[in-house]
Amino acid sequence: MKAHLTRQAPVAWGLVLATILLGWFGRDLAKALDARWLVKVPSSWDIPFNTYISAAMAWLMEEAAVGPVSFTDATRAIAWLIEQPYELALNLLARGFLFDPGPEPQVLLPAASWIAVTAAVIALGHYCRSWGLAALVGACFAYLAVFGQWDSAMITLASVLIAVPIGAGGGLLAGIWAYRHPLGERILSPILDLMQTIPIFAYLVPILFMFGFGPVSALVATIIYATPPMIRITIMALKAVDPEILDFGRMAGTTRRQLMWRVLVPSASQSLMVGVNQVIMLTLNMVIIASMIGAGGLGFDVLAALRRLDIGAGFEAGIAIVVLAIAVDRLSQAFAERMGQVHHTTPGSWAARNKRTVLVLCLLAVTWVLGRFSPLLLDYPQSQTITTGAFWNDTVKYLNVNYFDAFEAVKVFFLQWFLLPIKKTLLGIPWPWAIAMLTLLGWRAGGWKLAALCGAMSALIAVSGLWAKAMVTVYLCGASVILATLIGVPLGVLAALNRRAGIAINLLIDTLQTLPSFVYLIPVVMLFRVGDFTAMIAIVLYALAPAVRYAAHGVRSVSSELIEAGLVSGCTKWQLLRLVRLPMALPEILLGINQTIMLALSMLVITALVGTRDLGQEVYIALTKADTGRGLVAGLAIAFIAIIADRLINAGARGARIRFGLES
Amino acid sequence: MRQNLRILGAAALTAALSASSAWSAESADPIKLTLHDWSGQLINTKIMGSILQEAGYNVEYVQADYIAQFAGLKTGDLHLAMEIWETTGREALDEATASGKVINAGDTGMTAIEEWWYPAYMKDRCPGLPDWQALKDCSEEFATAETSPYGRYVGGPVTWGGFDEERVEALELDFEVVHAGTDAALFAELESAYQRQDPIVLWVYAPHWAPSKYEGEFVEFPLYSPECYSDPSAGVNPDLAYDCGKPRGPIWKAAWAGLPDKWPGAYQIIQEYNLSNEEMSAMVGKADLEGVDIDTVVADWMSENKDLWSGWISH
Amino acid sequence: MIHNTKLSCRNVWKLYGANAQEFLSSNPAPSGDDIRQAGIIGAVRDASIDIAEGEIFIIMGLSGSGKSTLVRCLSRLIEPTGGQVLFDGVDLLTASEQELIEIRRHKMGMVFQHFALLPHLTVLQNVMFPLTVQAAPKAEAEEKAREVVDLVGLKGREDYYPRELSGGQQQRVGIARSLVTEPDLWFLDEPFSALDPLIRREMQDEFMRLQARLHKTIVFITHDFEEAVRLADRIAIMKDGEIIQVATPEELVLNPATDYVAEFTRHIPRSKVLTVGGIMTPGTQAEGMPVPATARVSEVAEQIIAADAPRPVCDANGRTVGSIGRTAVARVLFGAGEAA
Ligand SMILES: Nc1ncnc2c1ncn2[C@@H]1O[C@H](COP(=O)(O)OP(=O)(O)OP(=O)(O)O)[C@@H](O)[C@H]1O
Ligand SMILES: [Mg+2]
Repeated sequence: MKAHLTRQAPVAWGLVLATILLGWFGRDLAKALDARWLVKVPSSWDIPFNTYISAAMAWLMEEAAVGPVSFTDATRAIAWLIEQPYELALNLLARGFLFDPGPEPQVLLPAASWIAVTAAVIALGHYCRSWGLAALVGACFAYLAVFGQWDSAMITLASVLIAVPIGAGGGLLAGIWAYRHPLGERILSPILDLMQTIPIFAYLVPILFMFGFGPVSALVATIIYATPPMIRITIMALKAVDPEILDFGRMAGTTRRQLMWRVLVPSASQSLMVGVNQVIMLTLNMVIIASMIGAGGLGFDVLAALRRLDIGAGFEAGIAIVVLAIAVDRLSQAFAERMGQVHHTTPGSWAARNKRTVLVLCLLAVTWVLGRFSPLLLDYPQSQTITTGAFWNDTVKYLNVNYFDAFEAVKVFFLQWFLLPIKKTLLGIPWPWAIAMLTLLGWRAGGWKLAALCGAMSALIAVSGLWAKAMVTVYLCGASVILATLIGVPLGVLAALNRRAGIAINLLIDTLQTLPSFVYLIPVVMLFRVGDFTAMIAIVLYALAPAVRYAAHGVRSVSSELIEAGLVSGCTKWQLLRLVRLPMALPEILLGINQTIMLALSMLVITALVGTRDLGQEVYIALTKADTGRGLVAGLAIAFIAIIADRLINAGARGARIRFGLES
Repeated sequence: MRQNLRILGAAALTAALSASSAWSAESADPIKLTLHDWSGQLINTKIMGSILQEAGYNVEYVQADYIAQFAGLKTGDLHLAMEIWETTGREALDEATASGKVINAGDTGMTAIEEWWYPAYMKDRCPGLPDWQALKDCSEEFATAETSPYGRYVGGPVTWGGFDEERVEALELDFEVVHAGTDAALFAELESAYQRQDPIVLWVYAPHWAPSKYEGEFVEFPLYSPECYSDPSAGVNPDLAYDCGKPRGPIWKAAWAGLPDKWPGAYQIIQEYNLSNEEMSAMVGKADLEGVDIDTVVADWMSENKDLWSGWISH
Repeated sequence: MIHNTKLSCRNVWKLYGANAQEFLSSNPAPSGDDIRQAGIIGAVRDASIDIAEGEIFIIMGLSGSGKSTLVRCLSRLIEPTGGQVLFDGVDLLTASEQELIEIRRHKMGMVFQHFALLPHLTVLQNVMFPLTVQAAPKAEAEEKAREVVDLVGLKGREDYYPRELSGGQQQRVGIARSLVTEPDLWFLDEPFSALDPLIRREMQDEFMRLQARLHKTIVFITHDFEEAVRLADRIAIMKDGEIIQVATPEELVLNPATDYVAEFTRHIPRSKVLTVGGIMTPGTQAEGMPVPATARVSEVAEQIIAADAPRPVCDANGRTVGSIGRTAVARVLFGAGEAA
């Protein structure tokens, strides 16, 4: 074994070195050999996947039909179905019920008053758990009113109210289906992989075609984006139900349906709620992107702020999204918990039993009636809103005016010594060599199956004509991940070893993670202007969290016996870290880096909004040109990169765990 | 606040203001106007919308993308796009009108220029300007750390199109195209460079406040011709297309082909509607430079030009 | 105690692995080596047993010997790879899903090692659950459930959630729940293994008390020989999926079929296993208070040793069938370790 390893190490290092050298001199080499095809895949080799996909899409939209019902009819019918409850929620919360049709739309009933809505969530909080929760959600909604975010927040809330139940319910059903049919899981699993790795922008276009322009398309996109974790968690949770419980259910003579709905699902409810929480978080994450195709609300405000480079407005709307997320999440958790328990109904009339409902309905009616005389009861007075916008704007302006040269120096330093060398190397690697190396790596890490996967996926990227853009993607993503790792892992280790630092770091990470990713873009663009460096900073900020979290967790969960063994053998603190803690935490750290890569890739697409030249940009262009094929091909290329990275790192992490005897 | 949001909100909110009108016999369905991502278009569209509302129509604003909106215009999901620039949207417009599902509702009265633009101080560093040939020799004057040794050209958001990558290749300019993600980012670049007299060449368009606020010129590329874009053999470079400048011309209005039948009166108003470059530049300047709310800019225009637009309605 | 057979299985096999089914049909009686070579796990191999009505039949063996798998084959929670399972003369393996549901609803009950209580239901609701899925009238179901909760001594805790109960109490709920449908056949898969020794004893007593009232046919799994001896009418010993011996506790101790069985029985005090009938001297000559032949030696040892002369032994009908004296008892008590 030892001899084997030592013989292999030089070969591996040799190959790495060869790759770097090839990359650095690749262009000159290709020029010297007059073989430009080495660094640029000849365009005559391209397989026009995008035209195929676009043609298929056109056929689907214009010709596909089952009997008299065309595909478009079907999708439009679905759109209509989703639209009805959405309109209702929107009318109630934001728009008011208008008397349509007519050139003079009359407001039949204005939207529910902010007082009534806040009272309703407070009542719900109290009903679900306690006064504590009631106070929390009440404060959240009051924040929305006081900071002038109310109207947008209600539009967003309306779409959340529709998207979350559909996403969670649909995910649950799909998960159950996959649980029941082993084949189902095998079909779903790659689809979910793709759904989670293809950037959302890539499928916005087909959705627009199918469901029309407007909020419904945005809702559908949101649902598609938010559902996969629910499906995965459902499958996992059902499988994790104690087999004895399953046996019990069957011995009690349950039918299949009873077994599922009365035994398995309730037993798995805690894990399922984690899925619901994910759906809520992703839905709120998606609101900004959804606003690009017609969902309004807070997401649109952030997007508009980004377009205007108005950092104050962006921050306020971004924080409002976070606040809304907290309120919806806590309420749903408490609600599910309460549903899981039985409660003895107190006797009495309906009104006596439902005091809270009665109270809220009364309040609603009263504010509606009195609102005719005093608009204060309906709309939070604008003169009373607080804004911190000016503060943020001034801060950034101050920094810009006074520290421009410092920022510029940092930027130039990073560009010259970090980003550009990586870019040059990656773009210079001859693509046949790169494919060969990836295949070899796959084979070393996970056998021939992984080798085939890596080889096939990278070759597909090459023949789809996106090689150069894919390399820019790898470069931006790689540079950001390296930086995120260099910052994140030490932070994680520090957080694990020092309690006080841990609290501070956790706070930082939580904030970074819950703020919608778009919000970072604004100050970064303002300070560093457009370009790769800016994109990198935004990506690092967004993708830092898992690197920190996993590292902290890995270091914390090194068994205490090992630590004691180290101490007894006289390790210093530093040696303990270097020789025991870090090596044992390596698999965990690797998984963290894996997550960081996934987040970096998803952020990359968003940075296309501030101008990058990678696959993300390609997807974004396709979105704006409504070019289904182009977007999906570029989206798939990103998904392929993600999948290759994911599989390689997972295989590596497993190898490491096996080496440390943590897994066999 | 609520009113603003309703109008701004992309969730297709109906603005519930109106006056009685002769057109009430026509369909009460809302006419859907598209909003894009630059101030001029927002102002232009909001003015059109306000006039239509004054004439008694229901109006909805829908956030849609500049090029992607044609898909919606074809299906009738969207009804009216107020700014299709000859310079960047002509191909998409032609393609859409050829399908018969979209019609060109005439020009807006504004003429569009979109071209590479540089501040006057760059002329000292690159004396041959504004002729494009000069860029060939002094590309390094425009270089930054990120693009060195190539020059840096700040393009518009990718969604605006413009074929600048192709142009750079066809004209063999040693430039790298860096896209600003947004309108605001584009002019933030200009502002920042201008203040410190840093080298810059970037995408500027007119009607816009920038050409009047900053001293500078458009680069003079070989004149545009349709062949230059479509036929590689035409133009300076015999092997590649796009070896010329960008087209200049009117800003068009594009409408769903069903609009004239469904709202004939509205269609007449739409055709009548026009503004001048100067008016528009002034309004955009007000919004972008003075920070006046777009709805206020629109409302001001509406009250100042009541005679003008009532004339369009009564025709 | 010879009654009609309630449950029997014939040549039941359960093999895990790819193509286990084909493997068995091509080779209906594979040896252990055949199975291993085919890369298949033989969880249950060629099991045949008959369980009589009202009997407590205990299956025991070490962990992984296939006890749970066998019991799950008997209740068809697991589909056996081959063989036959007859319940009241009906072949369970050919029963339709609907028939199976009916049988399980009314004739079978099962208790699980880790209780398998539904976490989201209260004690009462858990116990009612089997009736609820049958759509039994609510009031009736509740009354019945309260009855069995009372029976297992949990009165007053009906509205607790499982997480609010101790292990022993949880298993009482499990027992109550398995009894609420009044099944004929009662499966218990290591019901007391997860409990502390003291509680375990208490629960065993409880179990015997219940059985004395209910007279169910019981299939009980344990890996604890002492428990088996306390409770069993008959014991089946399993090893590597095979049933090695089926016998009464006493026979197991006196005539172990293999060394493995002997090893199993070695550490159990024989006085707790052997009955007076097993070690008495046949004949009718002794005088005094008779001791029953079915009594365990440990139960009567004190009085026999205290007595001056051998005591008569009587059978179930009160007839004297033999006698027992100090020496015989002492040999059992102090000669532990020797083969009988
Ligand atoms: N689904 C399965 N797939 C493969 N092998 C299995 C499966 N279920 C059980 N086995 C194997 O069958 C054998 C018998 O398992 P079983 O659970 O019946 O043992 P047991 O006697 O009940 O043990 P314990 O006392 O630990 O409960 C074991 O070797 C186990 O590994
Ligand atoms: Mg078992």
